[in-house]
Amino acid sequence: MTFMGFVLAVCAVASGIGVIGFRNPLYSAFSLVANLMTMAGLYALLDAHFLAVSQVVVYAGAIMVLVLFVLMLLNLKVEGGAKLGLMRAGLALTAGVLILVTGLKPIMEHFSSVPAITLRENATKTVGDVASIGEQLFGRYVVQFELSSLVLLIGIVGAVMLAKRKHVQLAPRSVFGEAE
Amino acid sequence: MFGLFVLIVKVALVMNLALMLASLCTWLERKGSALIQDRVGANRAGAFIESDKWFLKPFLPAVRMMGWLGVINTLVCDSLKGIAKEDFIPEGTSKFLHAVAPIIAVLPIMLAFGVLPFAPDFTIFGHHIQAQVARIDAGLLFVLAMGSVAVYGVAIAGWTGNNKFSLLGSLRAAAQMISYELPMGLVFVALIIVFGSLDIYTIVQKQGELLWGVVPQWGIVMQPVGFVILLLAGMAETKRGPFDLPEAESELAAGYFTEYSGMKFLLFWLGEFAEIALFAALLALLFFGGWHIPWVTLPEGVWWAALLGHFVLMAKIVFFCVLQIVIRWTLPRFRYDHLMNLGWKMLLPLSLLNLIGTAVLKVAL
Repeated sequence: MTFMGFVLAVCAVASGIGVIGFRNPLYSAFSLVANLMTMAGLYALLDAHFLAVSQVVVYAGAIMVLVLFVLMLLNLKVEGGAKLGLMRAGLALTAGVLILVTGLKPIMEHFSSVPAITLRENATKTVGDVASIGEQLFGRYVVQFELSSLVLLIGIVGAVMLAKRKHVQLAPRSVFGEAE
Repeated sequence: MFGLFVLIVKVALVMNLALMLASLCTWLERKGSALIQDRVGANRAGAFIESDKWFLKPFLPAVRMMGWLGVINTLVCDSLKGIAKEDFIPEGTSKFLHAVAPIIAVLPIMLAFGVLPFAPDFTIFGHHIQAQVARIDAGLLFVLAMGSVAVYGVAIAGWTGNNKFSLLGSLRAAAQMISYELPMGLVFVALIIVFGSLDIYTIVQKQGELLWGVVPQWGIVMQPVGFVILLLAGMAETKRGPFDLPEAESELAAGYFTEYSGMKFLLFWLGEFAEIALFAALLALLFFGGWHIPWVTLPEGVWWAALLGHFVLMAKIVFFCVLQIVIRWTLPRFRYDHLMNLGWKMLLPLSLLNLIGTAVLKVAL
């Protein structure tokens, strides 16, 4: 179990590097798919089957397919070697390190106070099956859950509005612009 | 140790079952299409085989019969040809992705078979055995997830083909599979509401009960609209029947696998036929009571009852395989905008209504 966990963790990190490392955007997208899959594998190792499966359904199965679809439709070429300036590279490095530290700190604090074994036992008891996730989602966190659906709805409406507005503005201009 | 042994045996059996069903579908497709189109079909290879060896004599009539029925042609000759053919890789494309695409198209389908139960639980020599590789809590969702992962095989295959036909084919396939996944998922949600579980085994066991003491509580009785939606959506998901736009040979050569040859080409077909079998198994398990015989209650946990249940289930699965192949060779191909209209304007609203209706009925009753 631990061995599989290490293998998956290494795969996750490698594919994560692949996402930002590849010049070809399509390969980056494939790496992201691989990354999401390995994360799902890690969830499954922690007995959170529902989480693992929904990760595959939602991210790998729906969102990434759409991303891939668009990438293939646009048929993007391999990006030329855009060089980062020293200033920008330094800024990016600082920001990355800051994010890493702020993300790692609570995790490290949590792990130092709770032994890993009890964590895993607790996980199998409370997080694992569909029923307990449903109870949490529709009981204790029902307001947050409904609010998140509202946020998604706003996102959809906003996207449609942006697409519509551009279309209305561009259509007459392109016709007359070419005629003149 | 014994648990590991049982697991290995179960994996081998389920893989074998999936491949057997896929090859059965291959043969049904070849010979069935001939029957439907009033042709003779494959009937030569092995049909006139002769031998003087005494130990081969008793098998000759059976072999000749298989040859005459086209079994040898479809299952032996075709695979040998596939292995012997040149493995062609188009220029200027990623060799790795080109090789990996057929595997990605087949593997998820095989994995999805792992969560399907093929018989009721039974006890033999004091060991309790589940006729299922992995009974996970979210089994139904797992099948859906594997179905959506199979899109990648098709998408990558079309892209590595490095020509317009395959790219168009894979774009069509991706759009079609995403569109029809939505109504499929919503039908599953309605089923989950009816049977109160995501576990396929529990869903099948619940179908053994009688509704109001009269009708068997099969999925088709509880969700008639859901069954129609799932049948249509599933046939579109398998890219078959009237929905085979991604490989429309009159428009796109062969669609996403235009640039594939030899065994890789056959792997795509294997994946497709395994998908047919998987979908037939899903229909039988979720809507037609799995291993249950209507109004007959078999004893629980006895090996012969499990075996009988297994054969009943297999009969139902083969029936749905045949049904899909008959539909595929009967109906003409859709036009692409009709396909999208059917998915988004008919099936999606219908499945949403079905879901709301199911929820209301569940609360009211």
